[in-house]
Amino acid sequence: MTFHDQVIAILPKLRVQALSLTRNRAAAEDLVQDAVCNALAAQNSFIPGTNFSAWMHRILRNRFISDLRKRRETTDIDDVPASSFASPATHEDNLALKDLSMALSRLPSDQREALVMVVIQGMSYEELAEATDCAVGTAKSRVFRARRQLEAWMSGDLPTNDKLRVKVKALRDAMDARSRAGRPCDDLMLS
Amino acid sequence: MTAGDKRKSSVEDTKAEKQESPFGIWLSRGLHQLFDDVANEPIPDELLRLIEEDRNK
Repeated sequence: MTFHDQVIAILPKLRVQALSLTRNRAAAEDLVQDAVCNALAAQNSFIPGTNFSAWMHRILRNRFISDLRKRRETTDIDDVPASSFASPATHEDNLALKDLSMALSRLPSDQREALVMVVIQGMSYEELAEATDCAVGTAKSRVFRARRQLEAWMSGDLPTNDKLRVKVKALRDAMDARSRAGRPCDDLMLS
Repeated sequence: MTAGDKRKSSVEDTKAEKQESPFGIWLSRGLHQLFDDVANEPIPDELLRLIEEDRNK
């Protein structure tokens, strides 16, 4: 398989990684394209026979961090709406999935990325560590903390003034009100 | 423990954690519902063209 064939083959995985980092489909597409441009420009630095997948994931991750540093001068990443995080609203047709989407968006990006790469892409901790340029213990810790935090949030183990709980409750109340009135509520996740 | 043993152990840890609890199972299903579509969407022509142009340089 040539270098370019390998780039094409890994694109679906890069998209998942990009979405886990950016929480936004459009931003994820831009990030993948930018990472591919970086990889094409740096293809001579890739050593054939070494781990191409990890090399590409690191390029995308480094590009994300670099872009984030630039954007932080003018934008707060938390301003990105959780509604654009993943699937269209029609696919998030139950509250629990919407809650999960919202909770994911509140995780630190490195934990979210680690969890998604292990669960969705089936990476081992060693593969995750190589792809994210960290120690195996760090990779394992990120996944563990992400799971623990999500479980706490999803089981309602939150302080009463927690912003996520307040947001989820407001969303649920609004959806209940719409349902009682017989009105659609798909647009609520877009507000 | 050899490096191979450690790797095997870690892979098994990962698998075990995925299946260890009802929450783990629910989380895995939820994440797949949120992310599988993205992985399966067609690659934009513009991106493929970019790669092919570089290949033909």
